[in-house]
Amino acid sequence: MSYCVNCGVELDVSLETCPLCNTPVINPNEIPYTRSTVPFPKEKGQVEVVKRKDLGILLTIVLVTTAVTCGLLNVLVFNGNLWSVLVAGVCMILWVLCIPFVIYPALNVYAALLFDGLSVGLYLHMITFLTESEGWYWGLALPITVLVTVLIELFALGIRKIPRSFLTTTLFVFIGTAVLCVGIELLIHRYQGNGLRLSWSAVVLTVCVIIIILLATLLSRRRLRDAVRRRLHF
Amino acid sequence: MKNKSERKIWYKLDLSAIVYPTLQRRDFSSVYRLSVVLKEAVDPKVLQQAADLALKRFPTYIASIRKGLFWRYLEPNERPGPFVQPDIKNPCMPMNFKSNNRYLLRIYYYGNRISLEAHHCLGDGTGGMYVLQTLTAVYLRLTGHPVSNGGFVLDIDEKPSEEELEDAYMRYANAKVCPKRPAEKTYRVRGTREPFYTLNIIDGIMPVRQVREVAGKYGATITEYLNAALLSALLEKQEKDWHIRLRPVRIAMPVNLRRFFPSETLRNFITMIYPSIDPRLGNWSFEEIIRHVHNYMNYYINEKFLRGDITTNASTQRNPFIRVVPLFIKDFVVRQFYTRVQDRNSSAGLTNMGAVKVPEDMKPFIERFDIYMGQPFSSRTNCAIISFGDILTVNFASSIVEADVERYFFRRLVKDGIHVRIESNRDLEQEQF
Repeated sequence: MSYCVNCGVELDVSLETCPLCNTPVINPNEIPYTRSTVPFPKEKGQVEVVKRKDLGILLTIVLVTTAVTCGLLNVLVFNGNLWSVLVAGVCMILWVLCIPFVIYPALNVYAALLFDGLSVGLYLHMITFLTESEGWYWGLALPITVLVTVLIELFALGIRKIPRSFLTTTLFVFIGTAVLCVGIELLIHRYQGNGLRLSWSAVVLTVCVIIIILLATLLSRRRLRDAVRRRLHF
Repeated sequence: MKNKSERKIWYKLDLSAIVYPTLQRRDFSSVYRLSVVLKEAVDPKVLQQAADLALKRFPTYIASIRKGLFWRYLEPNERPGPFVQPDIKNPCMPMNFKSNNRYLLRIYYYGNRISLEAHHCLGDGTGGMYVLQTLTAVYLRLTGHPVSNGGFVLDIDEKPSEEELEDAYMRYANAKVCPKRPAEKTYRVRGTREPFYTLNIIDGIMPVRQVREVAGKYGATITEYLNAALLSALLEKQEKDWHIRLRPVRIAMPVNLRRFFPSETLRNFITMIYPSIDPRLGNWSFEEIIRHVHNYMNYYINEKFLRGDITTNASTQRNPFIRVVPLFIKDFVVRQFYTRVQDRNSSAGLTNMGAVKVPEDMKPFIERFDIYMGQPFSSRTNCAIISFGDILTVNFASSIVEADVERYFFRRLVKDGIHVRIESNRDLEQEQF
């Protein structure tokens, strides 16, 4: 039997620290804890997942039907160009976006985001069937899609793995904005054959760097961070 | 095949139950937990049999909730379940209305403990206690212990009476005036939110006799004394934390209306009272706080004031203009009102189930009862009290890392000479205070 030296309460034998003040229990005479059951289990529960199978089936049927009927309309009636490819592409993107919500809720968030990026890339590739050249796709559209997908994946990783707060989320948003703007401008210049140089994105980068340094300082100083939280809470 | 009249059975939500589903969020449900700790280990197979037999007696507790155009309602649920399951570390998890085969009830077992979690839209703690004790009695009978009916143990072969299923509020909401509700911003505990799926529990177990003696010395009842101790803890927390200005400290405390208005209802029949202390008036000694709480309770907890209170609450639901407003607009307005006014109206919640009575032949098998008010709507702590025999349990549940309020509360009790034993589910190695 141990008592907290700070609070004066008797602590259950399963407790290694006082839950009220976090003072560790140091009792050399304490018999090692052998009871088979502690007052609370160790396993955490998870909220039951709602099955939306019916909605998933309905959505799949609607999207597939839309794509197929538009395809038939394109082949049999309005057959000037391959416009139905665009409709089919939109249906595909909508279906992929809905996978984690209605079709397979257990899908890993990173895999879901990767599939979203792949579907957008594929859709852009489908558009090349309607244009004269494919250069814009390989030189500009695909690299920008890859860049955005990677940034979104990293953002998701950041907000899931690092303790989330208003300040850290804002920090990630500004880092992402800076990298995205610089990346887009470099890719545009490369596509135009102007070499790798910065112009407008340098302004965005400068502003973002100032804000990023400010936020990083706030986050690294607990006192400052608490003061800002107190003043800006809503 | 059921006949047409049987299929048509459905239940309107009672006056309190209307609000709880509206507050439902991905990370919040109004779920409370009642537990009974037996003197022998629980056999899950027998418990499942007991649940199958006992729960049929409580049609409003094995119902599912549905949306109508203007109101939600309860509908009998004939899906398989509810199934007993091993207990978890984080009780009172959010309860999605469409999951768990649409049951709004969970039954857990762990060691010697049987726990019942119910969504508040089904009923209040008293209703839940009827379900838990009847379930426990059936379980004990199945394990070979003869336990008689009576008190909270209902006869499972009997049909539920009309009164058990009624919305008792409407029977007694007949005062000729609607007193105003208190609406003042109060002190709110600020703390670091725990991640989703975490509910920090600290249980304080103490002898009833000691608490009664100490409360008696202050000329108060146990409820008044513990209320004053919580108010004092909140005052201390506000004083020690960083603040621009002091605010009143107020506790939201449910009162069981069955004590004043005869009803056998198993659904919600509670109203809230708000004992408070205003530190802007000066420094309050603990004796002054107790005297103030004692006077407040004597003044407000009586049939007249409570009738006025229920009439005020019922007036909104009775208003024909409000009744015809579509549900989604009602949901929006109620959620806004609750978040901006009602939730800010109190600093903490405290409920006292009082001394639980069980049939004499069931007593030898029971060690104690526990009650948890569940996850708080905002970052604060909820306190629930229950006693059985000479064991009084104070159960704190919160979703914040800091345990300052709990610490000040229990230190007050220890200072008054009460022996407190603490149990908790906290993982302190990973937490920083």
